[in-house]
Amino acid sequence: MSVDFLHPGEGAAVDKDVPALELRGIDKRFPGVVALDNVDFTLEPGKIHALMGENGAGKSTLIKIMAGVYGKDAGTIRMRGREVDIKSPRDSLKQGIKVVFQEIALISEFTVAENIFLEGYPTGKTGSIDWKKIRAESAALFNRIGFNVDPAARTGSLPVSQQQMVEIARALAHEARVVVMDEPTSSLTPNEVSLLFTVIRRLANLGIAVVYVSHKLDEVFEIADTVTVLRDGRHISTKPIGEHTNDTLIQDMIGRRIDNLFPRQRGAAGSKIALSVDRLSTAKKLSEVSFEARAGEVLGFFGLMGAGRTELAKAIVGYDPITAGTISVDGQRLAPHDTRTGVRLGIGLLTEDRKSEGLMGELPVYQNASLASLGAFARLGFVDKAKEHKAVQDYVDRFRIKTPSLFQQVKNLSGGNQQKVLISRWLMRGLKVIVVDEPTRGIDVGAKSEIFALIDRLAGEGLAVVMMTSEMPELLGLADRIAVMCEGRLTAIMTRDEATQEKILNAAIG
Amino acid sequence: MSLANIASAKAQPSLLARLFARQELALFVCLVLVLVFFSVTVENFFSVRNMTNVLGQASLALTAGIGCAIVFISGEVDISIGSLLATIALPLIIIMNDTNSLLLGVGGALLFGLIIGVVNGYLTAYAGINSLIVTLGTMFIMRGGVYLYTGQRAIPDNTSLDSFIALSDGRLFNVIPYSAVIAIVLLAAFGYMMQHRPFGRQIYAVGGNQEVARLAGYDVRRVKFICFIISALLATVAGIILAARVGSAQHTAGLNFEFQVVAATVLGGVSLAGGIGSLTGMALGVLILQFLSNGLRGLGLPTEWQLVITGMIIIAAVAFDEAKRRRANGG
Repeated sequence: MSVDFLHPGEGAAVDKDVPALELRGIDKRFPGVVALDNVDFTLEPGKIHALMGENGAGKSTLIKIMAGVYGKDAGTIRMRGREVDIKSPRDSLKQGIKVVFQEIALISEFTVAENIFLEGYPTGKTGSIDWKKIRAESAALFNRIGFNVDPAARTGSLPVSQQQMVEIARALAHEARVVVMDEPTSSLTPNEVSLLFTVIRRLANLGIAVVYVSHKLDEVFEIADTVTVLRDGRHISTKPIGEHTNDTLIQDMIGRRIDNLFPRQRGAAGSKIALSVDRLSTAKKLSEVSFEARAGEVLGFFGLMGAGRTELAKAIVGYDPITAGTISVDGQRLAPHDTRTGVRLGIGLLTEDRKSEGLMGELPVYQNASLASLGAFARLGFVDKAKEHKAVQDYVDRFRIKTPSLFQQVKNLSGGNQQKVLISRWLMRGLKVIVVDEPTRGIDVGAKSEIFALIDRLAGEGLAVVMMTSEMPELLGLADRIAVMCEGRLTAIMTRDEATQEKILNAAIG
Repeated sequence: MSLANIASAKAQPSLLARLFARQELALFVCLVLVLVFFSVTVENFFSVRNMTNVLGQASLALTAGIGCAIVFISGEVDISIGSLLATIALPLIIIMNDTNSLLLGVGGALLFGLIIGVVNGYLTAYAGINSLIVTLGTMFIMRGGVYLYTGQRAIPDNTSLDSFIALSDGRLFNVIPYSAVIAIVLLAAFGYMMQHRPFGRQIYAVGGNQEVARLAGYDVRRVKFICFIISALLATVAGIILAARVGSAQHTAGLNFEFQVVAATVLGGVSLAGGIGSLTGMALGVLILQFLSNGLRGLGLPTEWQLVITGMIIIAAVAFDEAKRRRANGG
């Protein structure tokens, strides 16, 4: 009765009147938190249903209950009208629920083709794996979707965007009734996103119920038929997308209106040059990138995937080696591949990858914040705890970092608050230039506006902010000047007033 | 082309580059170098007699190494195998002496091995205790038990059954020791399982990334549980051959054997972190160490030096491996 993306003719017709999946009165508690409180969620076959809400709203918990990762505390789950018991991922897969998780869930040592068929290997008569079929079917699958991925490649050797495509393809390799996509576009190019949308529409046409989770409002308006919003673990609304506007959707998500996502408080930028980069090149990506950033200015760098934004960010803070060119902070030369000098001169990076390059999740808030400036708190080689705590507390108050105490493990904070802890780390050190790489990746709408206000404030305090972003609204809303990159080169640099979306995109395409 | 290679045919880099990227080829080249070096320097090293003798000596580690490698690939460790070798000799010899039947003795030994595998597997996979600790514990318990039971005296085999003696002395076509034949057959069977049966790939997936395997619908605990049973049963087979060789159950049998096997397995490119390596690699690792030891003895080097050299080789091999992996991941 279910449908297979690869062999669409083989599935029987889907009964359009019975919900594909129906969750009723779902409760889920974790120690000290009510993650879901009496949530209803109904999926119609052939419909694309967006699930929205801020971080902590309960989206991922709900998805994980569907996927069998968590058990529910109360409520019922029905598949096509029949009550089912989903206790493990295995049960969920058997019911035809395929979840594409936000974190890449692939075995990196396996080939792409093997990963596609991980949940069920096609076997021959003897029960041995039919590798030929695996290769052929995965190639056919990629062909059908239009993704350009080599099925024979070792998965771990692929860039994240391609791994994301493998994830998506895997959900379609077996019979599915419900396909859940959790932020599937976070590292895809616009072109790949449009391919994905074509696939999603095709899935819907086959009668599969699609759940689409995203923070990106424009995507949701483009693809979804219905939107369900969760807030604080409760069901807020389920409406056809036509009944929503940007404002009503945001209002449902955060429970209040955000009139201006980009409140500009700061004055005009100064004229003092804080960072000067001259003909910077690296071995892998960048070629002859030159620009200057002034104190009190937000200089936004835009570029599509692979344009070299992250590489540039890492090179100018002295994190990665360079092959040619110079970097000066406040007129002083920064030797390449030397973060020590970088920190001394006052240039810091707010990484796009908070988990692996930024924070130490197990350590408390105060240790994460004071990490770069322990020297300042030291007396005779020992850290003066009282002084350290006081300094951190100042930042916690100043940036309104939401944490129960300085001793909370930083991994328990929300994404936005983690970002603030990282910013505190660099400010405490006395920063002149801060490079922020995708500052709002994985951060929900409410916290986004706080991060924007924070960036505005940093510039207001006289820092030069170099912001790498792939989000156009963020760029246009925050930057004083806009630099555009394409394939490792700087293709345009313009003031905010000169900039239009068309100009920027044209420069980004090269 | 190795078994594992079949899965990844049709990649972009040249055939040569791909072969060199593979662990097994590098190991094979090392083995050939070892053989060539000692063939030149040691008299009678490269003779059918010596080669097959070494193969016979290697068969214990080859057999138990299969289990060791499989447990490693699943992301766990099993260091109880040396003690298991000594322990299962007790039911084997006692039952044989009582019943005069090799079959019953072997059955008793396998049953005992199965129980140990179940205990190791249950404590690790279901009770969630670290496998190094669990198997370290069972290693001590079994060794202590054997000392207590035997009173540190060997229990000799009184049956002198031809079939039992053949396990130690017999040779297929008068050339290849039966113990080596057993090891090779088991290697082929389990090698095939690891590369071409869904269960084998599940072991790789579980070791490669437990959470991903769970999301793909695998019963991670069951997979690990079974790996420990496989390991214990294969160590039992090795223990039966060892008992046949020494003609008795001895309290010191298999002392430090687990570390020889772990050393060879690691040398063979099987990662302690799980998910990486192959039985072919493990087998090459065993053969390299065994021929090296045999050759060095032929050169008149004392055993102490063999230990030192073995240690250095293992560290060098793993360091080389790590460097290669880092480059492959574009680090």
